[in-house]
Amino acid sequence: MKYDLIVIGAGPAGMAAAGTAARGGLRVALVDSAAQLGGQFHRQPPPELGGGNVRDDPTHERLGRDQSIEQAIQAPAPRRDFLRLRDRLTGVDLHLGCRVWAVEPSFAVHHDGGTLTGERLLIATGAHDRVVPFPGWDLPGVMTAGGAQALLKGNLVVAGRRIAVAGTGPFLLPVAAGLAAAGARVVGVFEAARQMGALARYPAKLAEGAGYAATLARYRVPYHRGQAVVAAHGADELAKVTVAKIDDGWRAIRTREIECDALAVGYGFVPQLDLPVQLGCATTRDSDGSAIVAVDDQMRTSITGVHAAGETTGVGGAELAELDGIIAGHSITGTPLPDGVRRRRERARAFARLLHEVFPVRDGWRDRLRADTIVCRCEEVPYQAICDAQALGAVDTRSLKLLARPGMGWCQGRMCGYAVARLAGEDPPPPRRPIAQPISLQNLAAYPLRSTNDDA
Amino acid sequence: MHPDRMWRSAEPRKSYDVIVVGAGGHGLATAYYLAKNHGITDVAVLDRGWLAGGNMARNTTIIRSNYLWDESAGIYEHALKLWEGLEEDLGYPLLFSQRGVLNLAHSLQDVRDGVRRVEANRVNGVDAEWLAPEQVKEVCPIVDVSPGVRYPVLGATYQPRAGIAKHDNVAWALARAASDLGVDLIEHCQVTGVEVTDGRATAVTTTRGRITANKIALSAAGHTSVVAKTAGLDLPLQTHPLQALVSELLEPIHPTVVMSNAVHVYVSQAHKGELVMGAGIDAANSYRRRGAFHIIESQMAAALELFPVFARAHVLRTWAGIVDVSPDASPIIGLTPVENLYLNCGWGTGGFKATPGIGWCYAHTIAHDTPHPLTAPFTLTRFTTGALVDEHGAAAVAH
Ligand SMILES: Cc1cc2nc3c(=O)[nH]c(=O)nc-3n(C[C@H](O)[C@H](O)[C@H](O)COP(=O)(O)OP(=O)(O)OC[C@H]3O[C@@H](n4cnc5c(N)ncnc54)[C@H](O)[C@@H]3O)c2cc1C
Ligand SMILES: Cc1cc2nc3c(=O)[nH]c(=O)nc-3n(C[C@H](O)[C@H](O)[C@H](O)COP(=O)(O)OP(=O)(O)OC[C@H]3O[C@@H](n4cnc5c(N)ncnc54)[C@H](O)[C@@H]3O)c2cc1C
Repeated sequence: MKYDLIVIGAGPAGMAAAGTAARGGLRVALVDSAAQLGGQFHRQPPPELGGGNVRDDPTHERLGRDQSIEQAIQAPAPRRDFLRLRDRLTGVDLHLGCRVWAVEPSFAVHHDGGTLTGERLLIATGAHDRVVPFPGWDLPGVMTAGGAQALLKGNLVVAGRRIAVAGTGPFLLPVAAGLAAAGARVVGVFEAARQMGALARYPAKLAEGAGYAATLARYRVPYHRGQAVVAAHGADELAKVTVAKIDDGWRAIRTREIECDALAVGYGFVPQLDLPVQLGCATTRDSDGSAIVAVDDQMRTSITGVHAAGETTGVGGAELAELDGIIAGHSITGTPLPDGVRRRRERARAFARLLHEVFPVRDGWRDRLRADTIVCRCEEVPYQAICDAQALGAVDTRSLKLLARPGMGWCQGRMCGYAVARLAGEDPPPPRRPIAQPISLQNLAAYPLRSTNDDA
Repeated sequence: MHPDRMWRSAEPRKSYDVIVVGAGGHGLATAYYLAKNHGITDVAVLDRGWLAGGNMARNTTIIRSNYLWDESAGIYEHALKLWEGLEEDLGYPLLFSQRGVLNLAHSLQDVRDGVRRVEANRVNGVDAEWLAPEQVKEVCPIVDVSPGVRYPVLGATYQPRAGIAKHDNVAWALARAASDLGVDLIEHCQVTGVEVTDGRATAVTTTRGRITANKIALSAAGHTSVVAKTAGLDLPLQTHPLQALVSELLEPIHPTVVMSNAVHVYVSQAHKGELVMGAGIDAANSYRRRGAFHIIESQMAAALELFPVFARAHVLRTWAGIVDVSPDASPIIGLTPVENLYLNCGWGTGGFKATPGIGWCYAHTIAHDTPHPLTAPFTLTRFTTGALVDEHGAAAVAH
């Protein structure tokens, strides 16, 4: 059976689009690799964890203070948004726990359990954490801010007892607030940016931030601007971090050490473009230099029949993603857009651009790398190997990869792609990953034979 | 790549003695031996893309010389002997690893062909052994040789001197050596036409201007027929995508190279630990560097029967190259009806192993305007005279 529309990604963008299209009368499939709806922002714990109990894991015993972890992470307003998005999905076929590893034209969606076909596609695969290496970042106990939050929201696991939160961007606030409310001692939020006055132009967003700030104040979590974690230390696992005051170029000025057993570090997000690039969708650059899918005001990509929505078209938060999804859904069904959607989206998009301005990532992190600092974890490529390749003449990302192998392992450069590109002095190129998710040979082999290749 | 440090970056000049079209392994090796063996250094190698970004960057690097016919054994064995001294010659690590290659037999016909090939190889001085299933298991313990499976292993040919090398290193080493001898390597310079006046090739038009030359040597793999057409030559080549894939890093478990022509699967474990697997060619003609998924799906099903231990290994990446397949699965090398225009193509799925050998012989052909004795059988005219070198058995899908 061929669907009218297959939506890949069940975050706010994909859920909003799928719901809108289903209400417009289309047969819709919604596919996500996660077992639950929600995507990153609305990530849900599995039902068997639904009672708010931390997983029965000796290293992560329950630390809850004055409320259950579930309450801590399920603030009422987002919870309402999620339920609203979910309730609109009546009639949509859910394919959860299905990792899409490839899409083929007009349109076959291959996931690790089979293939779906559809007349149209909407790609809402979101974004992943942007990783910036520093000495010690590969120690156990150091994780991305998104990873720490996913553990908390999706598994009800608190990442540590004494946790430092560092990096840049508004996302550090909910991560720190969630960890603190769940019972961790958050020893500080170290925000690289310093000047945030411009955000005052958006009172609603400011109020959201104030809510998190109140939570941080309640748990006495200090919030430091113009500071960064420049190194992590420990024999087998994280024991302490070096925190520095940094200048506008992110060079370290003065340092001190802080003990902690976990570090959640986030430098914004990188849009996940594997599937649109596979299909040949044109890409462009967001104002922060990230490669994004190019879409028109209907969220149509350059490939007929393919729409994109949410963070694949530019990182900007859950509200923007949902508005994108609504616009895409109406464009696909040809139904008129409700009043105010476009105006709200313009405002949310403008705010997203402002966030890129206020929370830029500066290249000063490069000065912190030591010869033995791992740049690519999968292939264990140290900074020295990158320098050696450069000395041999590798002046671009492609040549660095050929000579030193960063990005050629398990994650195919999702982790190190940004860093390697910046070390080569480039903005990261759009990813070329013919396989969007590693697929096991047994799953690949289990595909029903379509046509066989005659003797060649 | 910043050529200044590995090789010299060159701007195209107005004129050269020899222009080589295509900076794959073959083009680079040809330029190197033109300079080294024949003292011809007024040479430019032009490529439409990156240096060695075509099949040279995409192949599964199997090197062997156990082909059936005398003609093929001649050129491939010549190449293998050069491989054995190439690292020293070029002064660069090529990670050439003579870990042996097994060609599995799954049917009685395969067995007969294999035994016959081993005999032929021995007569030609090529090391070759016939292994019974238990011996296959000794060489490569992870192959399932039990009888009840869909593709039972009834035996295998084994060439101990065969193996793999690191393709990028080979390309860079050849580029550096050629450049040091004075050859111009010119990237992002696509040949859009070959100018022919009075039956004689005189110049190429390129995206970076017109360049005249005394001799023009084509070596553009899957695109050779496109370039040759501009000189009025219609080549008997079919162009297909050929796919390969790679897994995550694994502990060393696969000590050799295993090929199975019947199921179109070729597996080795590269130096770092990833499994490199070659698939069969896509049936459809195409210039797209992306193959169809159903080809690898069915072939991986077969591969897993041979190697049950790989079930939980993951495919991280697939890619395809554009290969040029000739009617008898043997290459086309030598002179053409157009004077001063030379041809090296039709290597299909198996030309990497020939790289130094073909460079050597093609350079000779260009320098002397006469085919090298080892490549003389591989003329274009064989498709009209009928003197084919039919390697379908050993080479049809053989890397
Ligand atoms: C880890 C993380 C945490 C975040 N937390 C917050 C937060 O607290 N507050 C906030 O405002 N913003 C947060 N963000 C930003 C957040 O991404 C957006 O606000 C919002 O979730 C974007 O919605 P989306 O629909 O575009 O994508 P997402 O919500 O990211 O949803 C994309 C979905 O696509 C699925 N997917 C991706 N690739 C495939 C594939 N190949 N096959 C199948 N499924 C696939 C993913 O599993 C995911 O569920 C977070 C981002 C990340 C990466
Ligand atoms: C997936 C795969 C696996 C393989 N496995 C093996 C193996 O295990 N063992 C083996 O022996 N062989 C193998 N082969 C075959 C082998 O790669 C080729 O036969 C061989 O590389 C061809 O010679 P080359 O290196 O010169 O080709 P290429 O590297 O393809 O060089 C041709 C060059 O010509 C350039 N070009 C094309 N058109 C123009 C133009 N108009 N102007 C300028 N330049 C142009 C291209 O950009 C390209 O760089 C494999 C091939 C593939 C695709």
